[in-house]
Amino acid sequence: MTDSVGRVSSRRAIIQGAAAGAVATLLPGTSQAANEPAIGTYPAGSSGDTVFIGITIPRTGTYAVPGEDVLKGYQLAIEHLNAGDPLIRMISPHTSKGVLGKQVTSGVADSGAKPNDAVQNGSRFISQNKAVLITGSVSSAEAVALNKLAQREKVIYLPGISGSNDTTGKDCVRYSFRECFYGQTAAAAIAPVMVKNIGKNKKAAYLVPDYTYGHTVHQSMEQFLKAGGWTTATAQVAPLGAPDYSSYLLNIANSGADVFININFGNDAVQSIKQAQQFGILGKQILSVPYNTPFLARDVGADLMAGVYAATDFWWTLEDRFPLAKQFVAAFEKKFGYKPEWGANAGYMQLAMWADAVERAKSFYPPDIIKAYEAGPEIQSTVGPVRFRGADHQLIRPVIIERGKKKADMKSADDYYEVLEVVPGEGLMQAPDAFGCSLGPAT
Amino acid sequence: MLSWPNFFSQFFNGLALGALLALISSGLTIIYGTLGVLNLAHGAMFMLGGYAGFVAWQHTGSFALAVLAGSLFMVVVGVLIERVVIRNFYRRPHEDQILVTFGIGIVLVELVRLGFGSDTVSIQPPAWAMGVTPLGFLIYPTYRIVVLGIAAAALLVLYFVLYRTRIGMIVRAGIEDSGMVDILGINVNHVFMLVFGIGAMAAGFAGIVNAPVVALTPDAGDTILVETFVVVVIGGVGSFPGAVLGGLIAGEILSLTSMVDPSYSEVMLFAVMTLVLVLRPQGLLGQQGRA
Amino acid sequence: MRRSAGWRRWWPEAAAAAGLLIAPFVLPFLGFSPDTVNRIVVWGLFGLGFDLLFGYTGLLSFGQSAFFGTGGFIAAYLLTKNLIASVLLALCIGTIGAAIAGVLVGLIALRRTGIYFAMITVAIAEVFFFVENSPLSDYTGGENGIPGVPAPAFDLGFLKFQVGTGWSMYWFLAACFFVGLVIARRIVASPVGAILVAIRDNPQRVQALGHSTGAYKLVIFVIAAAYAGFAGGLLGVLQGYMPPDAFTFDTSGQLVIQTVIGGTGTLFGPLAGAAVWLYLRDFLQGPMGLGNAWRLGLGLIFVLLVCFLRRGIIGGIRQLFARPPAPAPEETPIALAAPTLVSVGPAARRRVPENGHSGPILQAQGLTKRYGGLLANRDITFSVEEGELRGVIGPNGAGKSTFFKMLTCEVPPTSGTIRFHGHDITGRGVAQVCQLGLTKSYQVNQLFVRLTVRQNVTIAALAERRGMFKPDLLRGLHRVPGLDVQVEQTLALVNLSARADTPVAELAYGEKRRLEIGLALASSPTLLLLDEPLAGMSPRERAETVQLLRNIRRGRTLVIVEHDMDAMFDLAERITVLHEGTLLAEGTPAEIQRNSFVQEAYLGGVAAA
Repeated sequence: MTDSVGRVSSRRAIIQGAAAGAVATLLPGTSQAANEPAIGTYPAGSSGDTVFIGITIPRTGTYAVPGEDVLKGYQLAIEHLNAGDPLIRMISPHTSKGVLGKQVTSGVADSGAKPNDAVQNGSRFISQNKAVLITGSVSSAEAVALNKLAQREKVIYLPGISGSNDTTGKDCVRYSFRECFYGQTAAAAIAPVMVKNIGKNKKAAYLVPDYTYGHTVHQSMEQFLKAGGWTTATAQVAPLGAPDYSSYLLNIANSGADVFININFGNDAVQSIKQAQQFGILGKQILSVPYNTPFLARDVGADLMAGVYAATDFWWTLEDRFPLAKQFVAAFEKKFGYKPEWGANAGYMQLAMWADAVERAKSFYPPDIIKAYEAGPEIQSTVGPVRFRGADHQLIRPVIIERGKKKADMKSADDYYEVLEVVPGEGLMQAPDAFGCSLGPAT
Repeated sequence: MLSWPNFFSQFFNGLALGALLALISSGLTIIYGTLGVLNLAHGAMFMLGGYAGFVAWQHTGSFALAVLAGSLFMVVVGVLIERVVIRNFYRRPHEDQILVTFGIGIVLVELVRLGFGSDTVSIQPPAWAMGVTPLGFLIYPTYRIVVLGIAAAALLVLYFVLYRTRIGMIVRAGIEDSGMVDILGINVNHVFMLVFGIGAMAAGFAGIVNAPVVALTPDAGDTILVETFVVVVIGGVGSFPGAVLGGLIAGEILSLTSMVDPSYSEVMLFAVMTLVLVLRPQGLLGQQGRA
Repeated sequence: MRRSAGWRRWWPEAAAAAGLLIAPFVLPFLGFSPDTVNRIVVWGLFGLGFDLLFGYTGLLSFGQSAFFGTGGFIAAYLLTKNLIASVLLALCIGTIGAAIAGVLVGLIALRRTGIYFAMITVAIAEVFFFVENSPLSDYTGGENGIPGVPAPAFDLGFLKFQVGTGWSMYWFLAACFFVGLVIARRIVASPVGAILVAIRDNPQRVQALGHSTGAYKLVIFVIAAAYAGFAGGLLGVLQGYMPPDAFTFDTSGQLVIQTVIGGTGTLFGPLAGAAVWLYLRDFLQGPMGLGNAWRLGLGLIFVLLVCFLRRGIIGGIRQLFARPPAPAPEETPIALAAPTLVSVGPAARRRVPENGHSGPILQAQGLTKRYGGLLANRDITFSVEEGELRGVIGPNGAGKSTFFKMLTCEVPPTSGTIRFHGHDITGRGVAQVCQLGLTKSYQVNQLFVRLTVRQNVTIAALAERRGMFKPDLLRGLHRVPGLDVQVEQTLALVNLSARADTPVAELAYGEKRRLEIGLALASSPTLLLLDEPLAGMSPRERAETVQLLRNIRRGRTLVIVEHDMDAMFDLAERITVLHEGTLLAEGTPAEIQRNSFVQEAYLGGVAAA
C-alpha cells in the first residue's frame, strides 16, 4: 500500500492511516465514502447543503384521491426531518436536524397513475435535480416501472402505495424498498377473520380490476379462503377505470354468492360499491374489501360501509394502541385539518425509515444505504415495531383488519371503522423467493 | 355465466344502456348531418351537462330542477361554442374542424377538473326512484328503469320535434342539403346555432340523467365519445333513426357479451363496427354517398 | 416540388444537422434536461411519419399509437427475452411488425375517408390498447409494461461504444432522427410525394388521371406506421422500459396536438410541437406552479393555434419568409395568329394492345343507367370513329353528364357494354381506363387548387409516365424519364408556359379552363372527352378555346358535350343528340339542324323553317 506521495509506507504509516480512517468514520457528518466512485446521483446530489427528493404521484385521474393523501404524508415527513421533530426522531433515532445535517428540498410531479409519466418524472428529477431519492406511487404499475428506473439509474426509490405481489416479487430490485402491505399479506390476514366471522364453506363473488395488482390479490384471496372451505361463485374482471359496472354486477348478483369481494382500488372501488348498492347486492351479500382504499368510507358513505370487512395499512383509531400513531395523527391533523388515511401514513413512514437508514449508513452512497436497510434492525413505527426483510426489501409489518361501523355506533364524523385485529406481520409473509424475487446488484 | 335470469337482466340492462347511447348519439349525428362538423367535444358535453346538473342539485336539492338546469346550461354552451368558434370553421377543411372540436373538448374537461378536482361527484336520484324493483326472477335498480323511461321519452320528444314541427323539417332539410336551405332564404346561421345547441343539450341531458347511475368525473366523457362514434358509424351518419337503432344494438352488444366475458365487450363492439364498415359502409340506415 | 438550385435543396437537412449538433450545448441553458431533449427527438421521429400521413396526404389518423406501441413492444420483448442481442436489429424487427400491422389496419381503415376514417382510427387505437392490456399481457406485461430494455452498444471492431443515458443516448437518438428526416425528405421530393399532396387536394381527380389513389394511401399509411414503430422502440430504449400507455388514445392525441402546434406539412413541425409541449408541461407544472392546470393551458394554446395560426409555428415562420405572389400579368391569350405556334404537344399514345381491330375507336351498346327509380340513360348505342370530332348536344336533363361518366367508367352502367379500341372496358374503373388512353376534362374545374400550374400538369403526366402505381419513394421527381418533356409540351399546347409557376388559385377563369383541358391532355389520351369546355366563357375566350380544340384534335379523337350550338355546329363533323336519357338523333350538323324531332325537343314545337 502506498500513500499519496507514492512512497512505500512503513508499518507506522499503516497504523496511522488506519487510526485516521477509524476516527473519520466516527466523526459525524463526514462522508466515510469520500473515496467511493460516483454512482447514480452520488456524490453530486449530496455535495451541497441540501438534498433533493423527487416525488411523483398521481394528482389527476382515477387514483388522485389516495395520491394526494400520500403526498401529504411526504410533506409532513420532510417538514419534521428539517425541523428535527420529536416524532420522527422516535422512528429515526439518529436524526438531529435534516438528513446527515442537510436540509431536504423536494419537487412534486403528477403521474396520473400512468407508468410512463411516472418514469418521465423520475428521470427528470434524477437528471435535472440530482435527486438522492425518488418516491411515490399509488398504482403498482407505476411502482414497478419506477423500480426498474431506480435500478438502472442507481438511485433509491420508495413506493408509496403499491398492492401487487410483484413489487417485491418478480419485479423486485436492489434499489427499492416497500413499506406498505400487499396482496399476499392482505389475504393472509383477512381470510381467517372472514372465515371466523362469516363462517366456513361460503361462496364468494370477486370483482377484479384487470391488471397485475388485481390478479395477484385475487389469487391470494382464493388461496387463503380455500383453507376455510370457501369456493368461488364467479370472478368478474373489469377494466381499470370502467365507469359502468352494471354488466359485472348483474353477473355477481345472479351468482348466488354469500360474499362479494371487491378488489377494486381508488375511484373504481367507490364507483363499483355505489353501483353494487343500486343492484341490491349489498343487501344480499356481505362486502369485503381486501385492500382498502384511502377515503373509501368517506366517499361511499357510512351507510354502505356498515359491516364491510376491510384490510388496511393504518387507521387513525390505532392512536389508542400505539403512542407513535397518536403523535402522528395529532401532528397531521394539526397541519392538514383532517385525520390521515393510510396513504399518508405510508408516505410518512417511508421517508422516516429512509432517513434512519441514511443516518445509520452515515453517508449518501447508495450501496451503503442499501446495506443499512438490509441489516434489518427493528424500527419503531406508527403500527408498532417493524423491520425490513433483506431478501426482498419488504417491510415486515402488521395488517389491520377493520369492519365498518353502523352509523349509530360512530362516535365522531370520521369514526367509520372498528379495528377487529392487528395481525402481526411475521406470520403473513410468503417465503422470500416464493414470488420469484431476485434482487439485482447494488453497483 | 349463461342462464335465463342473467340473460334477461343483461338484455334489460342493454336496453337502458342503449337508450342512453341512442340519445347521446342522436345529438352527435344531427350535428354532423346538418353542420358537417364531427364534434369531438361531444363526450365532454355529456360530462359538462352532468356537472351543471350537479351544481343545480346541490343548490336546490331537486332532481327535476337539476335536469332542467343542466339541459338549459348545455343549450347555452352549445350555442356559444357554435357562434364563437365553430361558425368560423365551416369553410375550413374537415380536419381543421375535427382538431378544433378536439381542442375544445380538452379545454372543457380541464376547466371542470380545475373547478371540481378529480374526485367523483354524484347525485341522488329522487326518492321515489331509489331502491330496487323486483321484476320476476330478477331485481333491478329502480332508477335504471327510470333512466330507460326518461331516455325513451326524450327520444320521442326529439323525434316529434324533428319530424312533426316546422323547425324540425328545416333541420332535416339542412341535413340533406344545407346549401339549398340557405338559398331558400332560411337563415342558416340560426339553424346551425339551434342544431348545435340541441345536440349539446342531448348529450348534457344524458349526462345529468346518467349521473345517479354512474358517478361523474372530468374524464367520464372519454369512453362515451368512442362509444358514440361506434353507434353513429353502425347506424349511419346523419340519420336519427340510425342513431336510435345503432344505440340499441350497441347497448345490447355491450351487455350481452358481458355474460360471456365482460372484458371483451368493448372489443366486440368495435368488431361489429368494423364489420358494418366493410359490408355496408354507409351504416345500417344511412344514405349511400354521404361522406 | 419546385426544383431548387443545387445546394438550396439541401438546406433543411443541413439546418437539421446543425441544430441537432449544437442542441446539447445550447438547450440546457434554456432549461431543457437531457431526458426532455431525448423525448423531444423521439416524438419528432414519431411525428415525421404522421406528418407525411396527415400534413402531406391529409389523412387525419388518431390511431398512430397502435403502431407506436406495436413496434415498441416487439422490440422490447425480443430484447428482454434475449431472443435478439442487437438493439438495432430488434428495433428494425419491431418496425417491420408495426408496418405489417399498418397494412392490416390500413386495408380496413382506408376504405373510408374524412371523418369516418378518423373515427375508425380512434376505434383501432382502443382495440390495440385493450389487446395489449389483456389477452396478450403475458407478452406485454399487461399494465406493467416491459422493463429492463437495454441500451444499444456498437462494436465496430476498432471502436466499442455503449450508449448510456442522458446525453450519450441523445447522439444515438439524434442520428436516428436525422436518418428518418432524410428519408422523409426524399419521399416528399419523389413522384409519390407529389401524388400524395395532390390526393390531399382532390383525390377524385387524382384517380381520374390514372393513379391508384388507394394504393398510394396504403403505402403512406404503412410508412407512417413504420416510423411510429421505430419511434416506439426508441422510447423503450430511452427509458429502459416500454410503457403500456404507448398504446393509449392519449398518445395519439398528443401526437396530433404537437404536430398541429408545430405546423403540419413541414416535417419539422412535430419536433417543434414536441419541444413546446414538453417544455410547457415542465414549465407550467414547475416554476409557474399551475399544478393540475397545465393541461388546460396547453389545451387553450392548441385551440387558439388551430383558430388563428393554422400553419403552426414552423408554418408561420415559413410564411414570414415566403415571397409575395407575383403580380398577375395580362391574361395570356392563345396565340391565334401564328399557326406555327401550334405545337404537336404530347402525342396521343396508344396503350391498348393491338388486336387488329379496325372498327370504331369507341363503341357503346345499350348503355343504361338507373338511379333507384330514376332512369338517367336508357339503352344508348353510340360509336365514334378514330380521328373524329363528335359533338353531343341535348337539352338540360338529357343525361349527358351521366353518359360521359359511364364512358370514362366513373360510374358503372346498370346494363350495356363499352368497347374501346375493340376491348371491353365496361366497369373497369376510371384510373385503369385513363391509363388505356380514354380520359375526360370536367365541366366544373377539378384542379389541384393549392398547387401551381406546372405541378398540376405534372400529376397527370406522372400517371402517363409511370402507370397506375409505382412505389418509387426514394427517387427524385425530376428523374422520371420523359416527365419534364411531357409537362413542357402540354403547357405549351394550352399556352400556359408563361404561367407555369403560378398557383392555380391566382389564375383567371379562362386560364383555369385551359389547365383543365391540359390535365386531360397530359395523359396522352387517344380519345378525349370534353364536358362543356366552353362553359362560362366570354365570346373572346370561346373563340380561343375553339381554336385550341382544333389544335388538339390532330392525332386524337374528341367527343365534346356542349350547349353552345354555334360553336358545335361549327366545330363538329357529326353530332349526336340526347333527349330524356336516350338517343334522339345523329348526323351532320346540317342534318341535325333540320331535324324536326330535335327542334321539338329544344323548343317544344316545330318552328317554321
